[in-house]
Amino acid sequence: MSHLTPTAEMTLGPFFPLEFAAGANDLTVVEGRRAEGEVIEIAGRVVQLDGKPLDNLVLEIWQADAAGRYDNPEFFGWGRAATDAQGGFSFRTIKPGRNEGRAPHINFLLLYSGLMRQLQTVMFFSEENDPVLSAVPAARRERLIARKKGNRYVFDIRLRGEGETPFFDD
Amino acid sequence: MYAIAPRDPATQSQGVVAGYAQTAQRWPGQPLVPRPAAAAALAGPAALTRRLAAGRGDLAGHGAKRAIGQLMHLRTRVVDEDGAPVAGAVVEIWHCNAAGKYIHVNDNHDAPADPNFYGAARLITGDSGLVELRTIKPAAYPVPDTGGWWRPPHVHFSVWGRVWLSRLVTQMFFPGDPLNEHDAILNAVRDAEARSRCIARMVPTRQDHLLFEHQIVVRGRKASATLP
Repeated sequence: MSHLTPTAEMTLGPFFPLEFAAGANDLTVVEGRRAEGEVIEIAGRVVQLDGKPLDNLVLEIWQADAAGRYDNPEFFGWGRAATDAQGGFSFRTIKPGRNEGRAPHINFLLLYSGLMRQLQTVMFFSEENDPVLSAVPAARRERLIARKKGNRYVFDIRLRGEGETPFFDD
Repeated sequence: MYAIAPRDPATQSQGVVAGYAQTAQRWPGQPLVPRPAAAAALAGPAALTRRLAAGRGDLAGHGAKRAIGQLMHLRTRVVDEDGAPVAGAVVEIWHCNAAGKYIHVNDNHDAPADPNFYGAARLITGDSGLVELRTIKPAAYPVPDTGGWWRPPHVHFSVWGRVWLSRLVTQMFFPGDPLNEHDAILNAVRDAEARSRCIARMVPTRQDHLLFEHQIVVRGRKASATLP
């Protein structure tokens, strides 16, 4: 059977059209209907090695619905946001449920200028037993746990340097 | 059942690239953590067009509204690792104008904007995995804020495959451009054949436009029926 090699990933570059990045960071409403579950906000800031915040970096998320399902037509578990000049991003979404032995979590994908391939990481809501979280060296796991402030979860991302966010390879 | 296999690193871009300073600020210093197989990775947002509306497949315009530059048709096919066309896939395409200027507010390059050129299109693949774009050929431009090098003419692609891990952002280059062999981004892929697959094929034509064909392979293939 023939096999084709996947095309090489390349950097997003600095000029990803703003219209593509905008308007997809609210996952709570699908075609005018409010999805079921607890509405939460996820906010964070993305910085590089020297601490500089990154502008117009693109984050995409993929998550289960409140019941832990990925195939709910009433909830579209995908969203996209871009950072502002201060490196800040935010999503409004539904808190995901538990799924097949997994702790509630949100999958993140990062794209940016000078980032030669996409980076994948995962945000958890608390430190609990999860096969993906367990794959991360214990000392680095806390970087994947969002800090709760009211109904807002803060998930700061450091691409490189002391205390950098763990990223995954699949 | 669909499966995602590990890739050969030689066919993918290196994380830190000599001569491209920002890569050393941004690529993780720690090794990537191998992720145990997870259901989410092999699911994906079905009917992404519910969130991302498609636009027109013409950036070149006509008559008094015609963009400056060499008219070009770009015919791009999205397939998976089996070579099976990915139908209904969202494809985002963006590139600079014929003077090397992007529509983006962050582009400070001292090159003229073209009021008749808006360099961004979102399209959906047809049954054969094809998207067709009528546009103008982009120009080369110097990389901003690095004191770096000249980028060869290229087209950016953002593509969704069948599942979350099929997501692909890449660039397409033009055959025979002398800047290709000096580009830090294209040459971050070590394998020469993998690089050549990022270069479009020119199809000779006597029509009013240049014609380029390109194939993009997203990750994933049907799982073997003979798994142990």
